[in-house]
Amino acid sequence: MSLLDQAITAPDEPVSGAPAPQVRRKVRGVRRDMVLNLAGAALAGLSGSWLLGLVAGLAGIVGFLVVAYLLFVVAYAVLVSLTEDRPAVKDAVMTVLMASMAVLAFTALGLVIFFTLAKGWHALIHLNNYTQDLSSTGELAPLTQGGIGHAIVGTLWMIGIAVVFTVPVGLVAAVYLDMTRSRPATTFRTIVEAMSALPSILAGLFVYAAWILTLGFEHSGLAAALALSVMMLPYMIRASDLALRLVPGSLREASAALGAPSWRGEVQVVIPTARSGLATAVILGIARGIGEASPVLLTAGYTKTINADPLHGPMASLPLIALKLVQSGNANYTARAFAAASFLLLLVIVLFVIARKIGGWGPGHLSERGLRRVREASARDAERFARSQAARDVAAFAPAPSGWDATSPPDPSSTKDTR
Amino acid sequence: MTTVTPGFGRTVAHTAPQGSDQRPRRQLVDTKAPAEKAFLGLTRGSALVVLAVIALVGIFLTIKAVPALKVAKFSFLTTQAWQPDIHRFGIAGIMTGTILIALVAVVIAVPVALGLALYITEVAPARIKRTLVSLVDLMAAVPSVVYGLWALLFLQGRVVGVSRWIATWFGWIPLFHVNGADPSNPVQSGTLYSASTFIVGIAVSLMVIPILCSVMRETFSQAPLGEREGAYALGATRWGMIRSVVLPFGKGGIIGGTMLGLGRALGETIVVILIISPVYNANLHILQSGGNSVSGLIANLYSESSAFGTSALMAAGLALFALTLTINFAASAVVARSRSGAESDA
Amino acid sequence: MTTDPYTRIARMLRATALAVAATALALVVCVAGPSGPAGATSYVPVTGDGSSWSAGALDQWIADVHADGIQINYTSDGSTTGRNNFITGQSDFAASDIPFQTNPGDGSAPEHPQAGSYAYMPITAGGTVFMYNLKINGQRVTNLRLSGANITKIFTGAISNWDDPALAADNPGLQLPNQSIVPVVRSDGSGTSFEFTQWMISQNPGLWNSYCSKAGRAPACGSTSFYPTVTGMIAQNGDLGVASYVSQAFASGSIGYVNYYYALASHFPVVQLLNSAGYYTEPTPQNVAVSLLQDKVDTTDVNNPALYLTQQLQGVYTDPDPRTYPLSSYGYLILPTKVGSSFSTAKGSTLAAFAYYSMCQGQQQSAALGYSPMPINLVEASFAQIAKIPGANVQSINIQGCNNPTFTPTGVNLLAQTAPYPPACDKQGPTQCTTGTGGAVAVVTPVSRTSTAGPSSTTATGAAGAAGAAAASTAAGGGTAGSSSAATSQTCDPTTGACTPTSGSTGSADPSLAPTAETATLATATGWSTTQTLLLLIGLVLLALMLVPGLMSRRLERKRSP
Repeated sequence: MSLLDQAITAPDEPVSGAPAPQVRRKVRGVRRDMVLNLAGAALAGLSGSWLLGLVAGLAGIVGFLVVAYLLFVVAYAVLVSLTEDRPAVKDAVMTVLMASMAVLAFTALGLVIFFTLAKGWHALIHLNNYTQDLSSTGELAPLTQGGIGHAIVGTLWMIGIAVVFTVPVGLVAAVYLDMTRSRPATTFRTIVEAMSALPSILAGLFVYAAWILTLGFEHSGLAAALALSVMMLPYMIRASDLALRLVPGSLREASAALGAPSWRGEVQVVIPTARSGLATAVILGIARGIGEASPVLLTAGYTKTINADPLHGPMASLPLIALKLVQSGNANYTARAFAAASFLLLLVIVLFVIARKIGGWGPGHLSERGLRRVREASARDAERFARSQAARDVAAFAPAPSGWDATSPPDPSSTKDTR
Repeated sequence: MTTVTPGFGRTVAHTAPQGSDQRPRRQLVDTKAPAEKAFLGLTRGSALVVLAVIALVGIFLTIKAVPALKVAKFSFLTTQAWQPDIHRFGIAGIMTGTILIALVAVVIAVPVALGLALYITEVAPARIKRTLVSLVDLMAAVPSVVYGLWALLFLQGRVVGVSRWIATWFGWIPLFHVNGADPSNPVQSGTLYSASTFIVGIAVSLMVIPILCSVMRETFSQAPLGEREGAYALGATRWGMIRSVVLPFGKGGIIGGTMLGLGRALGETIVVILIISPVYNANLHILQSGGNSVSGLIANLYSESSAFGTSALMAAGLALFALTLTINFAASAVVARSRSGAESDA
Repeated sequence: MTTDPYTRIARMLRATALAVAATALALVVCVAGPSGPAGATSYVPVTGDGSSWSAGALDQWIADVHADGIQINYTSDGSTTGRNNFITGQSDFAASDIPFQTNPGDGSAPEHPQAGSYAYMPITAGGTVFMYNLKINGQRVTNLRLSGANITKIFTGAISNWDDPALAADNPGLQLPNQSIVPVVRSDGSGTSFEFTQWMISQNPGLWNSYCSKAGRAPACGSTSFYPTVTGMIAQNGDLGVASYVSQAFASGSIGYVNYYYALASHFPVVQLLNSAGYYTEPTPQNVAVSLLQDKVDTTDVNNPALYLTQQLQGVYTDPDPRTYPLSSYGYLILPTKVGSSFSTAKGSTLAAFAYYSMCQGQQQSAALGYSPMPINLVEASFAQIAKIPGANVQSINIQGCNNPTFTPTGVNLLAQTAPYPPACDKQGPTQCTTGTGGAVAVVTPVSRTSTAGPSSTTATGAAGAAGAAAASTAAGGGTAGSSSAATSQTCDPTTGACTPTSGSTGSADPSLAPTAETATLATATGWSTTQTLLLLIGLVLLALMLVPGLMSRRLERKRSP
């Protein structure tokens, strides 16, 4: 046995006459010792924390969990160090830390969602919650009376008007960013990016001071929609800009090479390609605007009655009544507040899932129908090529083409062979 | 990531008939068709509209803030009180509260977001990666009022115990000191620890975690594959690779993301008005009840202020505006620089 | 993709044009905005906001009249906001506990409503109560009694612990815990704060002034709508905010001022307040009715809107009737008397109908809600004010059709006539009733019999004097001293001025304080001390106990194996 052979075999293997067969080390996936280490450490953490709690007294369940977690990490490090070297221990501990941060964040998210839905459940299950308002509902009225219908109507109005204001302007401004690579465009992009994190209360304060105090309009759904628009506009532009930037440059180049003017390239190639990304941008913008309470707080006023007129009179929105009702402290009103918050949350989740669905398609993705249309078109093209091939075979010495018109419709009869 | 043709948007025109023997040099002329001009005008116009709206916000806030600033002058930055009508007002206390809330949020959010981002990019199995990214995005989309309700009725009662524990053991650190705390008293009220900067900070941290996380994730995922494989080839463990390749490479993303999160945390309103008990002087004890933020100040006082009081609120809003804008500009600069570095390295 | 590109562009352009047109249309419509469709004969929605003190009654009435097609949008965002929005024309009417502050003494801006644009109308009567969250040995206290002097000290930080002897003097039957008092006040501009501070100034002006300057309100310190706060106080938005804060489980030791209505709605007890006759009372509708007989409502000049029907509460504070609750007052509506930018006669007719309902049928519900129905003289005066609203249907407003429960043929308030006198155990002295108060009337709090045996009348005066003497010094030092005020379990002898910790048996005359001593035996330092070190050591030892055996056995095994 040479030294080299000895070095190759694992050091803790007994050196014997016949080299022991090397066991392949599993580097991917879950290993048994990993699972056992984790389980053992978790057990040690929990029981240790319980013991410490008996001795020292910890601050409730939170303190128990924190101590248990710390003990768990220490125990896990010790367990791993029994079999592995120092870098591997570090790696294992850091992996556990990273994973636990993920667990922590998602647990918090889960708690938020679960708590909101659980608290709102009693009000959510009644149909009247969606069809009635609170105009004739006293504080002690049961949850089978009254509802958040007025806030749903208000939210729809506000977000609807805000979308009308922001989507056209926002999309076109994003197209501007996409088309020009000049210095002003870069500056504009920087400003928009910085403004997309504008505190939403300032949008509300601006509309309150300008629209309501200076111009003398009343608190209304329109004022709230204006405030939401100011807030949503930079966000919408930024998201659309990102979507447009994902369109491959080769597509633009192809369009330019075919002689299309830049605006035609933009309208016919870039925008349709980025359609799903743009839709996602719009939907996420709506999801963001729909949940904002602070601009609405300053501009919409507050009412318990359905108000279908966005131009006059105060209007409630879902986040606003959730805020106002929870401050009441009354059990039934708190349940209604959570019902409003849950409804809002579900709305946002639905919008979000739609956005994911569309956004997941990526640029250039086609729906079932679109795909069929494209297939039909290419089938027609193939047929046309076959026909023109046949025609060429008949008239072998056809005159050379005098020109090629890019804009003429692709009619087989008028298309000439360019070869 | 997109390349752009230099001649994009130009049409090629021949200046001489094709028949001549010596072909003259082709000349590129920018002849824009009317439709092209109209389209460009439209896009430029809407960009101008957006700029005008943004400028209007800034200009209007400034104009409205001038009367108050004229009266307060420099004392606006140093006074810890809010009584605009007798000309005793300033943002020293309120801005301190705002920054404390944001700092608490960011201090909590950075480790969590960093771990989360590293987990998603480096550790998580590929099949759940997409779901995790979606969940982080969902976290960002949850309305702030939902976080506010949760923090008010779920978090507050539970954090009070933790606050009390920290104040008992670490009360000697001025930041964690609580006036009136009496650890030996078993019936000591939890009220001392409620409605505090700390509780608001925790709730706000949940809102900024997804922002931090997505910026970090983006830069981490751009870490060059060659260097990653190089690190592995030299025998690094996964954490060794992360430390030597991903983290140095993503430094810009971490710093920029943190600043973006800070900017967002500075402006949070709903959680503040739901939870905190407003005070107008600086309360540096983050575990003790009482605090404030500029946005909370505006939301609480906008409706009951006189004309001059509104002007003072505008001045406070302007200060917040300037602060967030500065932080956001700096953040996008840092992130942009780290991105451009990514391209050259790759 | 075979569609003609021209058609597609045209389609796209059309869509864009449509969007632009819609935007433009919306803009045009809203620029033409504020006039709007008005002048309909039926009721139109009316918007108002303000007092949260009166909001309990107003919300009930608004819900009632909704069936008749009257739509009132009322937001309870504080009296100050209500008056402010009325002046700027953002609302049609306001509810406020106090009149316009044309010459405020607290440094806020003077309010100048347009001359002849408003009229005051008292709409509810009620009491401002102190709702508290206090437990003794895990059992909720429901029969706390306090004097005005003690309330003033609590809300100015002069008394900061529940076991203060001055409070024990008010409550001979209770052994109040060693727990810090957390006063909960209003963060928004509130008429309740104004009336409360006005009352406290009448109790002890010196204490209020020193508190006010300590809270950083040095130059201007009269009664104020904006309660000045110091560290250790909680400020909440609206009566609702205060009530919901106090009623939270963790908020034990807190006490806040709200309308009686909120204490009833949250099922929490209220402080029985000592009146001039030496009785501790709570603001039941009957007691409020009695108290307000001494409220001087100005009826001199019907044409002076700034004064007409405003109230002077000083008489209530010193009313010798044993049934009086000193913090009783009227809440007001501020009615518009001029057609303005957004106020029309159609709105006026709606508002007048609502106001008439409130003064008549509405008052039948007052008592159940915790308010007191209005007496006939004020109802009649209010009718004259309602008639000033442009568009009011004057014919339908008459006293015959008014169905108000307080009316008697003689014109005396029926409630005041029939109000029961307080039981003897509510009289200042050694006995204390066990019955609950406010929204926790059914919860009985047992009182200790031993304490009643002691010479409590002398104790009471002695302790009150002690706190009074100590007030000036503690008021100066309480907030600034910080950590030193942490455990204010010190009692100061009024005669010698010497202060001793309560943990030892002190010269305190009240034996009921003794049980708190045992809680002070634990280490009291907040910093790092031996206790902390010891605890850390215990933790480490425990950790070692967990890990060392396993590690050792492993190591031994490895040593043995080669």
